[in-house]
Amino acid sequence: MRVALAEDSVLLREGLARLLGDAGFEVRARCGDADELRSALRVEVPDVVIVDIRLPPTHTDEGLRAAVELREAYPGLGVLVLSQYVELGLAMKLLADSAEGVGYLLKDRVSDVPEFIGAVRRVAAGGSAIDPTIVSTLLSRRRRDDPLERLTPREREVLELMAAGTSNQGIADRLVITLRAVEKYVSSIFGKLGLPATGSESRRVLAVLLFLRS
Amino acid sequence: MVRPTTAVLTTIALGLLAVLGGVVAMGLAGGVAPVHLAIICWLILAYTGSGLVAWRCRPANRFGPLMVLAGLATLASTLIWTSDDFLLHTLGQALDLLPLLLFVQVFLSFPTGRLPGRWEKVLIGTGYAAAIGGQLTAMALGGLDPHRIEIVHRPGLAKVVYDTELVLVSAVALAGVALLTVRRRTRGRALRRSLSLLVDSFTVGLVMIATLLIVGAFGGPAFPVIQRISLFLLGVAPIAFLLGLLSARLARTAVGELVVQLRGDPADLRTPLAQALRDPSLQLLYWLPRFGTWAGQDGRAVDRPEDPARVTVIDGDDGEPMAALVHDPALRDEPVLLEAVRSAAAIALRTGRLQAQLRANVEELRGSRARVIEAGQRERRRLERDLHDGAQQRLVALSLNLGVLQTRLGGDAEAETLLAAARTEIAVSLAELRDLARGLHPAVVSDHGLAVAVESLAARAPVPLRLHVDLDGRLGEAVEVAAYYDGSDLVVEVLDDGVGGADTEHGTGLRGLADRVEALDGRLRVWTPRGGGTRVRAELPCG
Repeated sequence: MRVALAEDSVLLREGLARLLGDAGFEVRARCGDADELRSALRVEVPDVVIVDIRLPPTHTDEGLRAAVELREAYPGLGVLVLSQYVELGLAMKLLADSAEGVGYLLKDRVSDVPEFIGAVRRVAAGGSAIDPTIVSTLLSRRRRDDPLERLTPREREVLELMAAGTSNQGIADRLVITLRAVEKYVSSIFGKLGLPATGSESRRVLAVLLFLRS
Repeated sequence: MVRPTTAVLTTIALGLLAVLGGVVAMGLAGGVAPVHLAIICWLILAYTGSGLVAWRCRPANRFGPLMVLAGLATLASTLIWTSDDFLLHTLGQALDLLPLLLFVQVFLSFPTGRLPGRWEKVLIGTGYAAAIGGQLTAMALGGLDPHRIEIVHRPGLAKVVYDTELVLVSAVALAGVALLTVRRRTRGRALRRSLSLLVDSFTVGLVMIATLLIVGAFGGPAFPVIQRISLFLLGVAPIAFLLGLLSARLARTAVGELVVQLRGDPADLRTPLAQALRDPSLQLLYWLPRFGTWAGQDGRAVDRPEDPARVTVIDGDDGEPMAALVHDPALRDEPVLLEAVRSAAAIALRTGRLQAQLRANVEELRGSRARVIEAGQRERRRLERDLHDGAQQRLVALSLNLGVLQTRLGGDAEAETLLAAARTEIAVSLAELRDLARGLHPAVVSDHGLAVAVESLAARAPVPLRLHVDLDGRLGEAVEVAAYYDGSDLVVEVLDDGVGGADTEHGTGLRGLADRVEALDGRLRVWTPRGGGTRVRAELPCG
C-alpha cells in the first residue's frame, strides 16, 4: 500500500515513515506542508494520505482544508487526519456527507502500533477511523429521554466500536465473539435507536455519529 | 428672512441703475436742478445699495430690507417730476412725504430693523397715517394739483390739511430723534462710540429737514442749500449703518443668543457656536495638555489645521491654549464678532474641555484594557503554540518510537510490560498537556472558528443542552475567543433551567466574562432570579 505524509515536525514525520515502512507500507511522499502534499499528489496518487491538521504557514486549519479538498479531488483516496486535539465540530466538517475513506485520530494513537496500522489500512480501503474520544464524548452526552439507555452494556460496546469505524470482523476480534453475533448486535442496536439499516460499514459510521450528535 | 443670492442682488442693483437712469432723464426733462437731482440719486443709491449689502450679509436681520425700502420710496417719490404722465405723477405726489418717514424709521430701528418699543411704533404709525392719509385727503380736496384724484374742489381746505400734515410729519421726525436720544441714555448704545457719534450727526440732517418742512408750511423761505446739505447727510447715514451692522450688531444679537443657549449647558457646544458665527463648517477643538494633543468634543485626537486664517485659538486663564475654533477664513473679516463669541463662550469652553478630557481618559482606559486583555491573549496563544510544537510533538514522537520498539522486541515479556507502562505514562502526560493547552488558549477557536468550537463545547457539556448557532463565516479572533469563553452584533445567549441566583460579584467566572466582553465594547447581562434559571446574554460588536 502506498502512503503520503504531511507533517511539519520532522521527528514525527520520520517516526511515522519508519513505523509505516516496518508495517509494509510504501511511503511515497514525506511533506512538510499542504502545498508539498498537493504537488506530490499531482505526481502520484497513493492509497492513503496522512495529514497533520495544523500545518505551516499559519498553523491553524491548513491540514484540514487540504484533507477536505483532496477528498473531493481524488475520490477513492483515503484521508487520515491527525491532530493534537480532537473536536467533534472538526470531525463533522471532515466527514461532511460521507465517512468513506476518512480517518480523524488523536496523534497519541500512533503509539499503539497495531491499532494505528489497522486504522490506516481501513481508511486506505475506504473504511473509516474516528477517534474513540469523539465517540465516547458523544456517547456520554446527556440527553432527555436518552434512547441509549435502552441498549445493553454489550450493545453499547458494539455501538462505540461501530461509531469509531471498526468493521464487523474487527468488532468480533476485539470482543472475542463470532461475526454472526456482531451482526445480531448491530441490527438490534439499529432497531432500538430507530435507525434504518444501512449496507456498508462506513455508511453506518456517519449514520451513528449523526444520530449521536443530534 | 430669505438670504438673497448674489445673482438676485446683482439683478436688482442693475434694474435700479436702469430705473435711476430713467429718473435722471425725467428730472432733467422736468427742469429739476442738477444738484438736487444728484443728491436725490445719491440718497436712492446709498439706501438701496447699503440695504442690499446688509440684506445679503445679515439675511436674518430686517434692517437691510428696511433700508432698501427707504431707497425705493425715495425713488417712487421722484415720480412727481413726471409732467407728461399724469398717473405716474399722481403716484409720486401721493408718496411725496413717505421717504422722510422711512428715514425716521431707519434711524429708530437700528440695528435690528424692528422698532424697539411701543412709543416708537405709535410715533411711526402716526407718521404714516399723516403722510399718506393727509396727502391723499389734501389731493382729494383738490390740493397739490395737477393730479387725477380730485373729488371736490376745496383748495382752501386742502391747504389746511396739507400744512397740518407737514407739521405732523415733521413733529414725528423730531419726536423720533428725541426718543432716540432718550433710549440711548437708558439702554446704552448699539454701536461703538465713534460710529454712534457719526450716526448722531446724521440725525441733525433729519432735524434740519423736519424744521425746513415746518418753515415751508408756514410760508417761510426754502433755504435750498441747507436742504441739500441735510439730504446729503441723510444719504451718508446708511453707509455708517451698514458698517455698524457688519461689526457691532452681531457681536450683540448673535452673541446674546449664544449666551442664552450656553446657559442651558448644552452637551454640544459646536452647534451654538457655529450658529453664532454663521459658519456651519465650524470645528471645535480642545487642547488636552495631558495628552499633548488637540481633540474633538468626543476626546479623540485630531490634527489642528495650520492655516492661521482658519484658526482662532482661545486661551485659558493660565495663558495656555484651551480651545480652538477652526472656521471659514472669511470670519477673519469680522474680528469684533469673533472676539465677542470668544469671550461669551470662554466659561462654557472650560467645562467643555473638561468633558473632552474625561472622554479622552475613558477612551484611553478602554484602549489600555483592551490592549491588556489582547496582550494576555496573545501570550496565552504563544504558550499554547509552544506547547503544541514543542513538548506535545516530542512526547508523541517518543511514544511513537516506543511503540515501534515494542513491535520489534518480539517476546521479551518484562520489557514489553515496561514499555507499555512508559507509553501509558506518556499518554497521561499528553492528556494533561492537552487540558493545560486548552485552558491557556482555545486553539480550536482561533484555528477553526467559533461555530466548530462551540459544537465541541456543547458535546462535552455535563448537562443536556440545545445548541443554536447562526453564524456566517469567521469573526475577529478577540470576539470569537470572548464569545467562546461565554459559552456574540454577535449575541451569545446562554440559558439554563437551574436554580438561578448566580453570583455575579464574587469569584472570577462571570466577572471575568464581563471584563472580556466589556473590553471589546460589548455588554454582558445576567438575569438570575432565585429559583428561576439563569440567562446570560453577551452582545459583542463585530465591526
